[in-house]
Amino acid sequence: MKNHTPLLEVKNLDVRFAVRGGDLTALRGISFSLDKGERLGLVGESGAGKSVAAFSILNLIARPGYIAGGQILLEGKDLAAMSERELRKIRGNRIAMIFQDPMMTLNPVLSIGTQMVEAIKAHRRISTKAARDIALDRLRKVQIPSPEKRLDQYPHELSGGMRQRVIIAIALLLDPEIIVADEPTTALDVTIQAEIMALLLELCEQENVALMLITHDLGVVSQVTQRMLVMYSGRIIEQGPTREIINDAQHPYTQGLINALPQMGEPGARLFQIPGSMPSLKNVPTGCPFHPRCDFATDQCRQTMPEYVRSGNVDVACYEVSNLIEQEKRMQEAGS
Amino acid sequence: MFVISVIAFAIQDGLGDPLQEMVGMSVSMEEREALREELGLNDPMVVQYLRFAGKAIQGDLGNSYFYGKPTLTVIAEHLPATLELVIGASLIIMLLSVPIGVYAAIRPQAWLAKFFMGVSTVGISIPVFLTAIVLIQIYSIGITVEWFPADTGWGQWLNGALSTEGGMPSYGRGDDLTHLFGTWYSGFFTELGLMHLVLPCVSLASIMLPLFIRLIRAEMMEVLQSDYIRYARAKGLSSARINFLHALKNTMLPVITVGGVQVGVMVAYTILTETVFQWPGVGLMFLEAITRSDIPLIVAYLMVVGLIFVITNTLVDLVYGLVNPTVKLTGKKA
Amino acid sequence: MTTATLSRWNRFRESFLWYSFKRDKVAIASFIVLLLMVFAAVFAPLFAPTNPYDLAQIDIMNSELPPVGMPGADAAFPLGTDAQGRDMLSTILYGTRVSLLIGFGAVVLQAALGILFGLLAGYLGGRVDSILMRIADVQLSFSTLMVAIIVGAVFKASFGNLMFGEIAIYMLIFIIGVAEWPQIARTVRASVLAEKKKEYVDAAKVMGYRTNRIMFRHILPNTLSPIFVIATVQIANAIISEAALSFLGLGMPETQPSLGSLIKSGFDYIQSGSWWITLIPGLVLVVLVLVINLLGDWLRDVMNPRLYKG
Repeated sequence: MKNHTPLLEVKNLDVRFAVRGGDLTALRGISFSLDKGERLGLVGESGAGKSVAAFSILNLIARPGYIAGGQILLEGKDLAAMSERELRKIRGNRIAMIFQDPMMTLNPVLSIGTQMVEAIKAHRRISTKAARDIALDRLRKVQIPSPEKRLDQYPHELSGGMRQRVIIAIALLLDPEIIVADEPTTALDVTIQAEIMALLLELCEQENVALMLITHDLGVVSQVTQRMLVMYSGRIIEQGPTREIINDAQHPYTQGLINALPQMGEPGARLFQIPGSMPSLKNVPTGCPFHPRCDFATDQCRQTMPEYVRSGNVDVACYEVSNLIEQEKRMQEAGS
Repeated sequence: MFVISVIAFAIQDGLGDPLQEMVGMSVSMEEREALREELGLNDPMVVQYLRFAGKAIQGDLGNSYFYGKPTLTVIAEHLPATLELVIGASLIIMLLSVPIGVYAAIRPQAWLAKFFMGVSTVGISIPVFLTAIVLIQIYSIGITVEWFPADTGWGQWLNGALSTEGGMPSYGRGDDLTHLFGTWYSGFFTELGLMHLVLPCVSLASIMLPLFIRLIRAEMMEVLQSDYIRYARAKGLSSARINFLHALKNTMLPVITVGGVQVGVMVAYTILTETVFQWPGVGLMFLEAITRSDIPLIVAYLMVVGLIFVITNTLVDLVYGLVNPTVKLTGKKA
Repeated sequence: MTTATLSRWNRFRESFLWYSFKRDKVAIASFIVLLLMVFAAVFAPLFAPTNPYDLAQIDIMNSELPPVGMPGADAAFPLGTDAQGRDMLSTILYGTRVSLLIGFGAVVLQAALGILFGLLAGYLGGRVDSILMRIADVQLSFSTLMVAIIVGAVFKASFGNLMFGEIAIYMLIFIIGVAEWPQIARTVRASVLAEKKKEYVDAAKVMGYRTNRIMFRHILPNTLSPIFVIATVQIANAIISEAALSFLGLGMPETQPSLGSLIKSGFDYIQSGSWWITLIPGLVLVVLVLVINLLGDWLRDVMNPRLYKG
């Protein structure tokens, strides 16, 4: 699997926020890759750095944030080192984004048609008429009723679900290779969430688009994605095939997340809670950032950040896991 | 459109009603004064007010004591001068405040932006009549600087650089006016007329300009933080399109509303500006009416100013509706 | 008593207000300049070489002398003299005094009106609210200066010039105070609406306190910081309004001049080259208003309350 160059490869990405009294590190040593047509999930609590990771892929972090180190390679070209001009050619064209809140994403004073046509014309030299035809085609793809009418309407005339459909249509306008979706359904009604998610999944499969799905919903991740990353306090603590992680999570934090999900068929049972809350960026504890909430924490955890170890197909950063693996190895050696 | 007209009517009603009250009050006070002095009438206030209102509806606001003509005719003769002053100043404000405000919002750290913001802070603190006086001193009367030794080259140069010729007209509108129609004689079409417009317009603009620059900058900076601007960037649009279409259009919404309110302030400042420049507009006429105790003219002026407020408020609502699709929608549905 | 004041002083020194003041050079400079000007104005009779109100000290032969450094100047009059032969330095000191007095007085009046009406509108809501705010809106859309000019004109017409001149200070305080109260009322109302939702108000209601007590003892103290900020800016506005009214001849008479009426009287002589009569008081006015505005800006940044603008 690791023999070919992936479509997108993020290597050792550091993102910092320059604030008064020194920098805050929002992302530390993030590394992952995304293949053509692959669907990758990114999960974690709010504040874990999921959205920052999503925006940094397009080099779109709002000031005072900045990329302090590492590479974002799109087919070998580093987006972190690109000029704004070159980046603009990639944004919306090869990598499209879907934002969290459809109410805030569309410009309230411009018509849907204007906002779709301008996105096409920013990347292709075609007539407005041709651009409108493309826009119409994508609106049909996202199954919006009477698409011709929508082009001349304004965002406030559409419901939340409709707007998110429009945004998906805009993402598809230029046949991108990657769509980064930052919690695309969180702001919607529960009944519409599943609809939109299914639509997004279907379109990505149909068009063979790679999807990077940022969410805090483990259920969605397990249904939609093939691989997943778990983030905690600006670090990736576990990554690997989704099914393996969901069925047999290695990191105590991931285990906690999965145990916190309500189980079907057990009415009245108390939900599991991970004690405490995630540290703020201002005072990240030394060593493993999860240690204050971890049942297995040792002095080693409190002092140094664990390296990644491989367990099955999963990479995980935890001393508990690495110690277990070594123990097993020793037992096997002793046994043989 | 229907709803806009209803809104306009509601505003007219809201503004108009207390307006009537206020004017009514001053009518009774003024007229009581006037009665004692000249006419000796002793009708109750209500009767007088009703008679006044009845006549006002027919466009009869009485005769000016001083001019001996119907007050509305006197105002009609003076109004074009004021309107040209306001138009000129508004042009200056619009042409300067938008680019400067936008620039200061996009590059808040640039030294030029900081310079503009500093100047506008100082500008807010300078009363309009003082700006006018300084302008007259510099550009009309001229200043001669002899602080530096004239026998050295740099001294001479500094003296010359700091001195001004003067000579800009600072009094009235000049003789070379073009007759447009009715009582409208315009200074826009001759060089002399335009020269006379420059200083008064700059003075009038000077007080509103800093306000608008600060307002546009603040609103624009807020808009630039919004999600849809970030999304526009994620679509790969050029920064020119993002700044001047996506951001500016949203910025202008609150600016239009505030701008409408500022028209009221502008009227007050025309009084000051016209006084300094002896500009024969309604503001100067009003002030002279006060010193001459020309009560019918004072009342008529207030009525006309109230009417202008109502009209501009309606206009502002119309423009707002044109820019903001949310308003247009309600109009369509109704 | 002394320990109490001492601990208050310590608390102030540890406060964020003092901390940010120490860091802001513009605020410090503005404060020092303002302090000097207030001091000079308050003790004007001690500093001023002559008393401009005393006709016996004025010699018409000394009229229109330029300030020191210009040809024809007299060292006895460092800033020159005006058209009546009054010493400019003395008149400016006394004029600043009048301007400041009217500025503070007008703000005290409008704060009283604004706080009262703002509290009533915000706390009682309903019809009281809509009536008061409607009046405020109408007054604001007319612009406060316009209202002041109209009220000033009406008063002047009804009292006559002479009588108006005698009570001009009180009249101006009244006119500007009445014209500008909506600014403060709207700010107070906005913060009252925000405070009203908080638990401590419910707690006070549950304990059965009377409405008056809740309004003035419980809510008012929590709305003080925005009032304080806007009042600072309003002093600057009031001083400008006063100057504008005086410039139009609706304010202080020339016998008892404020900065505005000094500028006005000087303006009549500007064409004859006597620029100092109008420009020096003008400069003083600008500096005075500017430092107050800068302090206001700084206060707003520090306290960061939500203010209604315009």
